[in-house]
Amino acid sequence: MLRREFVRAVVSVSFAPKLLLAQQSAEPAPARPAPVPWTLGLNPRTPLPHTEVVDGIAETELRFFTPQQMATLVRLSDVLMPPLDSRPGAVQAGTPLFLDFLIGSSPDARKKVYTGGLNWLESESQKTYKKPFANLDTGQVDALLKPWLRTWMNDHPPTEQHAGFVNIAHDDIRTATVNSKAWSDAPADPDERTAAGLYWYPIEPDLYARNADCAHLPPHVVAAPKAAHTMPSYPR
Amino acid sequence: MTNEVFDVLIIGSGHSGGMAAKILTESGIRCLMLNAGPVADVSRNAEQKPAYELPYRGFKPPGKLEHVFQASEFNANVWVDEQEVPYTFAPENPYNWVRVRLFGGRSLFWSRQSFRLSDYELKAKSHDGFGDDWPISYADLAPFYSRVEEIFQVSGAMDGPPQMPDGNFVPDDTPWSQSMQRFMAAGKRFDMPVCKQRRALGRDGLASSVNLLLPDAEKTGKLTSIDNAVVRELTVDKNTGQPNGCHFVDRLSRREMHVKARVVVLAAGTLESTRLLLNSKLANSSGVMGHYLMDQIYGPGVTCSVPEARNGKATKELMGGGAIVPRFRNISTKSDKFLRGYALNVSSSMGPVHPRNFAAYGADLQRKLEEYHGSSFYMTMMGEVLGRYENHVRIDKDKVDAWGIPVLHVETKYTDNEFNMAKDAVAVGSAVAEAAGFEVLSKNEVPNPPGYSIHEVGTCRMGDDPKRSVLNKWSQSHDHKNLFIVDGAGFVSAGWQNPTMTILSLSMRASEYLAGEMKKNNI
Repeated sequence: MLRREFVRAVVSVSFAPKLLLAQQSAEPAPARPAPVPWTLGLNPRTPLPHTEVVDGIAETELRFFTPQQMATLVRLSDVLMPPLDSRPGAVQAGTPLFLDFLIGSSPDARKKVYTGGLNWLESESQKTYKKPFANLDTGQVDALLKPWLRTWMNDHPPTEQHAGFVNIAHDDIRTATVNSKAWSDAPADPDERTAAGLYWYPIEPDLYARNADCAHLPPHVVAAPKAAHTMPSYPR
Repeated sequence: MTNEVFDVLIIGSGHSGGMAAKILTESGIRCLMLNAGPVADVSRNAEQKPAYELPYRGFKPPGKLEHVFQASEFNANVWVDEQEVPYTFAPENPYNWVRVRLFGGRSLFWSRQSFRLSDYELKAKSHDGFGDDWPISYADLAPFYSRVEEIFQVSGAMDGPPQMPDGNFVPDDTPWSQSMQRFMAAGKRFDMPVCKQRRALGRDGLASSVNLLLPDAEKTGKLTSIDNAVVRELTVDKNTGQPNGCHFVDRLSRREMHVKARVVVLAAGTLESTRLLLNSKLANSSGVMGHYLMDQIYGPGVTCSVPEARNGKATKELMGGGAIVPRFRNISTKSDKFLRGYALNVSSSMGPVHPRNFAAYGADLQRKLEEYHGSSFYMTMMGEVLGRYENHVRIDKDKVDAWGIPVLHVETKYTDNEFNMAKDAVAVGSAVAEAAGFEVLSKNEVPNPPGYSIHEVGTCRMGDDPKRSVLNKWSQSHDHKNLFIVDGAGFVSAGWQNPTMTILSLSMRASEYLAGEMKKNNI
């Protein structure tokens, strides 16, 4: 934007509250001749379009795992976290395809844990039952998985090869499921609610807070005005 | 204004920089504070959200912040980006450098545990022969601890043994829950003192430089602050050879700038202050700058369940509360496995037990989660890491950060002393838990990588001998009397204690000394 146009836009924005009032009056001010500065119309009364979280509306595309690895992951997810009572299971929460996205976006070491682990499950299944892991019944899956279950503490999953995959995948499948929209929509015990917290946006300085009044943003908290102003003081 | 010379340039705005600004400006000294990152305003920069609204469902953004185990998707944007400000290490010796460059630094996000060092740490060599004594003793620091505790509103009980000196506390007289009493009784046979936690309450829910220190400095009208100022190097007066300001680069526009000051106070955080001095080739006539990097072992611990609290029977009388077990090894007895010792953070909870404490899944796991709900009892370790010359940082000549500033190479690792200490902590923790009638659900004796505790200290240690230390007992450079380092870089030993109260006290003490010397025209 040319400097002159920028200045014009800023000047126009500063008149916005007056323009708003003008629109409400019996005799609205005559429309401006074109061209109108780009951002002139947006104001605090502009309705915000309502958007939805994509999960449950659109399907994630399979981009990382092979179809066979995905079939194994779906069966694994269903056994590790089946639907219970009112709670959706991992499959209903879209967890396998979400993990395809998450693991596919991750560093190689994490990718190898999953691809190696899923391939191992498939080969164990073929060796033991002569059929794909995806077609095993729950008892057969239990026989393959249970020897590798371990208890462990945060940041220290088991380091044995297969136990590492089984326990890490279990933890990831549970987290992805509990944090899903589907889980959040189901009635759940307060201690099993989807994680919620204070999300920090990227923090960059900009000028919009200077127009906080206009934008109806929460007022910026000034920690301590300079000496010329009165300021709160903590008792010591 | 452009050529204004400030009295003191303070680099860094966290606990140590905030304290220096408060003390110096209240003494009438004009200070300029530079901070490498922006001001965070929670009302603008943060919003309450459920995990499913975030791109990665609350998982840490993949490939980002690999060495910040504390990061999640919710807080990923508050930490220093490892791609923007890299550091290097050999793959077999990873280091977790956990940094915040927002105004206020890591004082915005800390656990608030607030302990004093004792002469078991400050005079550690005299006690066990290893390392070096500090050039100051507990008696030198005690009055400063008291003032810092007042400002930070530290809650606690006067129940500390000599290795955890009592302080100026907001009294904590909450009763112990029965599960805690059982733990205390069982710990007696291990000579394990069990004390009330000590925690900075702060004000309005926050105990930070930005609400407890900087407002006092700003009130004087003597503090000028600039954010997004990434300091490249200190400048030196050609005639005197003394530091006289710094070059910095604007973080966003990359405009190169400089400022002048009569005195420089470094408070950028242990490793950033050291990196800046190494890049500036200053204050290192001793050759020990960068060496003796220390921290504390975190990660080992024991998770238990109190059987009587299961199946919905947890009550407030039985469960809840926390305790600190201060170091109890090598105080009155001597271990043949390791020097120094560790503390245990202990807590009893009526909340859910994490699923990873059960080797089960599906409906079996759900039954376990319901049965064990409200019965958890945790112990986690904080162990002293010994100060060793070979654990060090240096400038990596082959890599620069986003502003072209050479980065740090970190070369440090734990030794058998630390590993044996971790094993002892888990063995003793498990034994006490079983003696108390608790069921041990999971345990871990493998330390997290060095740095994880965010308690990195040393690398510009203080001492009386200019040939073996960087700073004197006033946190003042032996080489340059107008250069002070007031963060954790001056530590001679790490102790098991969270270092914040000591950093604040040292900064307060150094700043009062500096103010006095400036008034006397000695600096």
